[in-house]
Amino acid sequence: MALTITCPICGKRNGYEFRYGGEDKGPRPEEAGITPEIWCDYVHMNKCVAGVQKEWWFHKDGCGSWFSIHRDTTTNLEVKGPEADK
Amino acid sequence: MMTRFNQLPTLKIDPTKKVVFNYKGKTYSGVEGDTIASALYANGVRIYARSLKYHRPRGLYSLDGECSNTMMDVDGIPNVRTENTLLKQGMTVKEQNVKGSAENDMLGFLDKLDWAMPAGFYYKMMHKPARIWPIAMKQIRKTAGLGEISPDFEMPGKFDEIFPRTDVVVIGGGPAGMTSALAAAEKGLRVIIMESRPWLGGFFDYRTAEYKDGVALYQRGQDLAQQVEANENIRVLKHTAMVGAYSNCLVTGFQTGTDKDAFNERYVEIRANSVIVATGCIERPLLFDNNERPGVMQVACALRMARNYGILPGENGIFSVGHDLGLEAAIDLFDMGMKIGCVADVREDGQDPELVLALAKRNLLLLKGWVATVAHGKKQVNKVTMSSIDGMISRDFDCDVLVASAGLTPVTGPLTMAQIKLRHDDFTGFFVADEMPENTFSAGRILGINNAMSIECSGTLAGIKAAKVCGACEAADVEAVEAAMKALPGPLRGSKLVTAPVQGRKSFICFDEDTTIKSVKQTIDSGFDVPELVKRYSSAGLGPGQSGIPGHNLPLYVAKYQALAGVPVKPTTVRAPIVPTFIATYAGTNHTMHKRTPIHDLQVADKGILRKIGVWERVRYFSEDYSCRKEIENVRNNVGMLDGSTLGKFRLHGPDALKALQRVYVSDMSKLKPGRIKYTAMCNDDGCVIDDGVVIMLGENDYYITTSTGRAGQTVEWIRYHTRYDGWDFSMVNITDSMGVINLSGPNARKVFAKITEEDVSNEAFSYSAYKEMVIKDVIPAKVMRLGFVGELSYEFHVDSSYMTSLWQLLKEAGAEFGIQNFGVESQNVLRMEKCHVILGQESEQRTNLLDVGLGFLWNRKKAEAKTVGAVALRQAENDPTRFKLVGFKMENNGRAPRDGALIVDTKVRGYIATARDSATLNEAVGMALVEAELAKVGTRLEIYEDECGDERIYGKVVPMPFYDPDGTRMKG
Repeated sequence: MALTITCPICGKRNGYEFRYGGEDKGPRPEEAGITPEIWCDYVHMNKCVAGVQKEWWFHKDGCGSWFSIHRDTTTNLEVKGPEADK
Repeated sequence: MMTRFNQLPTLKIDPTKKVVFNYKGKTYSGVEGDTIASALYANGVRIYARSLKYHRPRGLYSLDGECSNTMMDVDGIPNVRTENTLLKQGMTVKEQNVKGSAENDMLGFLDKLDWAMPAGFYYKMMHKPARIWPIAMKQIRKTAGLGEISPDFEMPGKFDEIFPRTDVVVIGGGPAGMTSALAAAEKGLRVIIMESRPWLGGFFDYRTAEYKDGVALYQRGQDLAQQVEANENIRVLKHTAMVGAYSNCLVTGFQTGTDKDAFNERYVEIRANSVIVATGCIERPLLFDNNERPGVMQVACALRMARNYGILPGENGIFSVGHDLGLEAAIDLFDMGMKIGCVADVREDGQDPELVLALAKRNLLLLKGWVATVAHGKKQVNKVTMSSIDGMISRDFDCDVLVASAGLTPVTGPLTMAQIKLRHDDFTGFFVADEMPENTFSAGRILGINNAMSIECSGTLAGIKAAKVCGACEAADVEAVEAAMKALPGPLRGSKLVTAPVQGRKSFICFDEDTTIKSVKQTIDSGFDVPELVKRYSSAGLGPGQSGIPGHNLPLYVAKYQALAGVPVKPTTVRAPIVPTFIATYAGTNHTMHKRTPIHDLQVADKGILRKIGVWERVRYFSEDYSCRKEIENVRNNVGMLDGSTLGKFRLHGPDALKALQRVYVSDMSKLKPGRIKYTAMCNDDGCVIDDGVVIMLGENDYYITTSTGRAGQTVEWIRYHTRYDGWDFSMVNITDSMGVINLSGPNARKVFAKITEEDVSNEAFSYSAYKEMVIKDVIPAKVMRLGFVGELSYEFHVDSSYMTSLWQLLKEAGAEFGIQNFGVESQNVLRMEKCHVILGQESEQRTNLLDVGLGFLWNRKKAEAKTVGAVALRQAENDPTRFKLVGFKMENNGRAPRDGALIVDTKVRGYIATARDSATLNEAVGMALVEAELAKVGTRLEIYEDECGDERIYGKVVPMPFYDPDGTRMKG
């Protein structure tokens, strides 16, 4: 596909060099007070926005680092995220 | 054999080099540089094939393979486009889709039955009553398609793939493509040009008309080509057809190799920062009755046959054209010896006055506002009826070739593939791009220009614009070229004629699918009123030509027939691959790639039988006895050696190394002490167990960890993933491949070990679960651990891969007096199963959690601050009574072991067999299974269902685990 991803270490590379790591859901919550529903949502539920989302990628055919980017899911192209989100 | 011109400066053939080939069982010859089609034509062949539906005779039309007219079977490969395939010595060429020959096809009568096969007739006719549909479908399938191939056919040749990166990719190696490449290269950018013909030159290539100052266009074309090929910044890919264009400047193509290349065909995937589309124009087919008769051909086809291949396409030509190029071709062909009865131009006016003069000088009849309406001749054209475009007056002319074209139309396929919207331009009659994406530029004739200088300048402009987006030049540079462009002639007014004045029953809008104007009318009358629906109902454009022949005529006709204002409809979307190609090219080279351990050759020399396991090749058995009786007995009673090098091995160190371990492993990793190994497991966020292995503390903040073979590739990714928010300071190194492992197991293992080292290896000094580092024979640094996977006294040696051969030989020599033998993966499997030690992926699947397989004892619950992966889910699942449990079982009545994966049933599925074997050690069949908790009690009878067993069942009984050496004295002694 046309997707290219900018790795913070290696620069802009062919999308096939990376593995998708899911939408950004933030760090795992504290264990206290987690019900099975809350936990299942955290692990499995996705927002599936039609638009720009923040997500994680792993550079498997490269430096092996995990990083996040913003991607427009309607065009499947990497975009610059909102400044506040750095 | 026809005489050919040998001396033309525009020839692409070498008339001195003969190429011999076989056609229909007889030997023919062509020359080097011929395509198969041109060689056949030179040998008098005019009818190349029969059409799909009506079996009408077909021949040369476009000379660029835009339709299936000249597809033939070459060397057993069907549907080869003979116009685009170079002739090679010894080729065997056969006709397709004929009963008899293309000349005399016994199915030719179908042409007379066209009235019975209107558009979409199979939707209406062959299913009332419903039971005749399967019969009809079977018969239609037999007649559908052109070429034939056996499912056993093996594709010969080499297929490769390349993935170049570049600054600018130029699609099209004609004058505009070449000048754009030169302009971008001049600014220091890397450029790749893709050209579908085997040479650069495009539209200039075959024309003797003047460029300027006495230089002919073809000379200018050759000059530009030389400049391009000499330029260091430009990579030229010839005989490379573009097949896909995608967003983000991704372009793909297929390249046909020359004799000097190491591939027959190769896939090219180019990622660029900018794309220039300079694909030029093709001719819009003229629609009239029998417009596809052999002998009817397009202007460029006729001219290039003479100029590139030295073959005059006919003796008596008639021309029906819509563009100045048609007039130019008539003049050139007349000068080369063709008699021309008349030149009809659909345009009432607007012709280039110099061309009109030239025609008059040669006494050639020019009929303005006239068009061909019927081509006569049963199998080849021998007469044409011409009429005024209003249909009022007509005249007949004899001929043996009819050069027909409605005018030009741009090659917009690449544009629509890249999702660029088109709109109809009224002046040129072209479909042009509405808005180009940021980094994509058009150049050349697709803009509607025809003047040679304008074409070149438009290329330079596109090249400089590409240079600007790549940051290699300034806005002022672009403005300078834009100003030059303004001073040059603009687009030409195009011909508007859609069809000749005919009813259209035999006017073909699509040659591949035999779709006529009449079928299109029937389709629109049935309510399918836009080109997308017309295409699918009438099948116009569904063939290999995709958009070549019907492409732009279809929307123009759809608009005209419905008397729509303007042309609000567009050509249908073209899809990859734009040109037909082999699946073999998409498949690429089929390398079988596997990893081998450092002692692979030694294992094979010892009669090891290899199997593929994941990305590795490993020895599964050391004899033809797949039950591995001798190997297993030898480990239980003596001593054996196993190559365990595929084990995942990692070094994890840093100030926060312990935090990382606590996050991913379920045990309390702070309890680790140097000198002892810790067996533990990793789970995922659902609590499902994904890997097990040992962790060893080498020193402060420094750990050595092992994982299963299958997970080694993902371990670093996994640990980094689950710590990605924490910002911890730790590093990981994957040393799986740089270290090898030998497992020495059996009651005599200690005796063998003692022979190769001075160290004290008694049970007191080196106890079960201990870890020692030592240097064997003063040379081989080794990490040695005592484990018990196979249930006997075992030592595992981890050494650098380069020392594996030496260590293996040392152990073999030391073990010789005990009759040491190798054992393989299957033996290890049975040995560990007798001890009920789990293999993840065998005794577990995706849904199995840590507690199901009885490894709950590894889980430490008191480290909530570590947020161990899996802890939350395990806590939630631990009291769930519906989960499966791992049990051991043995078979009833000395029965044989069931197959792995067999189901445990009663009225429904209650579980499945993970691993089961006929155990020689225990003298009965035993195994492990995952069953619903209800069936997990010792003594429960298990009913086993094996694949394809019918009504037969076999039975087992749940027994305590492990089966062998329950106290573990053998492995801990």
